[in-house]
Amino acid sequence: MSCPSDEIILETRRAVREVVKGDDRILTVDAISFRFKSGGLYNLVGPSGSGKSSYLRLLNRLDEATSGEILFGGRAIQAYRPTDLRRRISMLFQTPYLFPGTVEENIRYCCRDGDADSGGFLERVGLPRAFLKKDVERLSVGEKQRVALSRSLALNPEVLLLDEPTSALDPASSRRIEELILSLARDMCLTVITVTHNPEQAIRLGGETLLIVSGRLVESGRTSEVLTSPTSDPGRKYIDRELS
Amino acid sequence: MIETGYFQVAAAAALAALALILTRARAIPVEKDIAFGSVRAFVQLVAVGYALEFIFDSRSLALVGLSVAVMLVVGAYTAGRRAEHFSGAFVIALTAMGSGTLVTLLLMLGLDIISVEARYIIPLAGMLVSNSMNAASIVFNRIGSDLRSNRLAIETALSLGKNWKEASRGYFREAVKAGMISILNFLKTVGIVALPGAMTGMILAGASPLKAVLIQLVVGYMLLLAVSIAALLAAEFSVRRFFNSAEQFVG
Repeated sequence: MSCPSDEIILETRRAVREVVKGDDRILTVDAISFRFKSGGLYNLVGPSGSGKSSYLRLLNRLDEATSGEILFGGRAIQAYRPTDLRRRISMLFQTPYLFPGTVEENIRYCCRDGDADSGGFLERVGLPRAFLKKDVERLSVGEKQRVALSRSLALNPEVLLLDEPTSALDPASSRRIEELILSLARDMCLTVITVTHNPEQAIRLGGETLLIVSGRLVESGRTSEVLTSPTSDPGRKYIDRELS
Repeated sequence: MIETGYFQVAAAAALAALALILTRARAIPVEKDIAFGSVRAFVQLVAVGYALEFIFDSRSLALVGLSVAVMLVVGAYTAGRRAEHFSGAFVIALTAMGSGTLVTLLLMLGLDIISVEARYIIPLAGMLVSNSMNAASIVFNRIGSDLRSNRLAIETALSLGKNWKEASRGYFREAVKAGMISILNFLKTVGIVALPGAMTGMILAGASPLKAVLIQLVVGYMLLLAVSIAALLAAEFSVRRFFNSAEQFVG
C-alpha cells in the first residue's frame, strides 16, 4: 500500500462551526470543504485564533458542526457511535494530559485487548520499556506528550489528530515529536492531521497544508508550494508576516 | 423534665442579646443577622408549632403529604440555587431529595419502625429533607467546579473513545463522597464530639438516655440512606447536564 493512497478517508463539505459569545455569533469555521486521503500527512496552518483547532475538533466530533457535512469512510460521522468514531479518529491535545498512575496504566486506559503490548507502543514513540512502571508525575512534558501519543496509538486509529502537539515543548523535544509524526505517516500509513501555527514546522513535516485564515480555508496543496508561494491575498499576507 | 413556656423563651432571648453585644463590641458585622435571625426564628418556629398542632390534631394524611411536599419544594429550590454552572437544578434536586426522602420513609413504614402518624412522619421528613438538601447542594457545587476545571482531562478521555460516564466517573464519585461527608462524619463522631439534636431534645424532655440513644440510631441510619440516595441521584443527573447525546462536553 502506498501512502497516501487515493482513497478518501475523511471529507468535510462546507463545514461550519458557529459559536455564540454574548450577543455575538462568531464563525470559527467558515464553510471549509476538503478531502483527506488515507495515509496522508496534513498540516493545518494559520494565525492564532484562525479556527484551525476548531476545525480539527469537528473531525472527531468533539464539537458539532453547525452546518455542512463531515464524512468518514464515506459515511456521515453522525452514523457512527461517537465512542467508536473517536477510537478510529484519535486526538492528541496541545497540553498532554495523563491520568494519575503509571505509564502502563495510561497506555492500557483504552485498550480493549488485555494482552496488548504496552511496551511496544512505548518503543514506537522512542521511549524504553522501563518507562512502563514510571509514575506519570515523574515525566517531563516532552515524555508526557510521547506517552500520550503512544496511548493514542494503542487504539490503533486510522486517523490521528494532533492539536499543536509541540507548542508546550522545548526545541529538541519538538523535533523528536516531528520525527515521530513523520514516521507514523510513513511507516504506519496513518493519516495524520496536525495543527500548527508555525509554518516552518509545517515545511519540515511536508505533506499537504491547509492554510486557514479567519475560519476560512484560503489555500491548500503541497506544503512546499502553499507556504512558499501562496496565491491568495490572505495567504500572502500571513506568509509574509510569518516567514519574513 | 424542663417546663418551657414563653417566659423561659424570653429569658433565653437574653442569650441572643448577649451574642449581639459581644459581636458588636468587636465590630463584627453580624448585628442585623443576629437581630433579624433571632426574631425570624421565633416567628417561624411558633408558626410551625401551631401548624403542627393543627395537623396532628386533624389526623389528616393529606395534610401530612402536603407538609412533606412543601418541605421538598422549598428544599429543592434552595439546593437548586447552589448550582451555578448548569440549568435544571431545581428538578434534579426535587427528584434526588424526593427519592431519598420518600424511599426512606416508605422503608421505615414497611419495616414497622414508625407508624403512619403525623407526629412521626413530619419531623422525620423534616430531617430527611434538610440533610438531603445539604447533600444535593454540595454535590451541585462540586460537580460544577470539578467538571469545568478538568475540561482537558474529560476531553482527553472522550477523545480516547470513552463515553460521558467513563470520562466523568472520578468527579462523580468525589462529588457523591463530598455530599455524604457530613452524615459520615456524624456517624463517626456521634456521642463523642456532640450529642445530636433529636437525642438531646428527648433527654431534655425527660426520656431515658438509653431510649434517646436508640431513637438517635434509627435517625442516623435513616439519614444515611436518604443522603446516599439524594447524593447519588443529584450527581448522576447533574453530571449528565454537562454532556449531550453525542458524548460532547458542553459544560
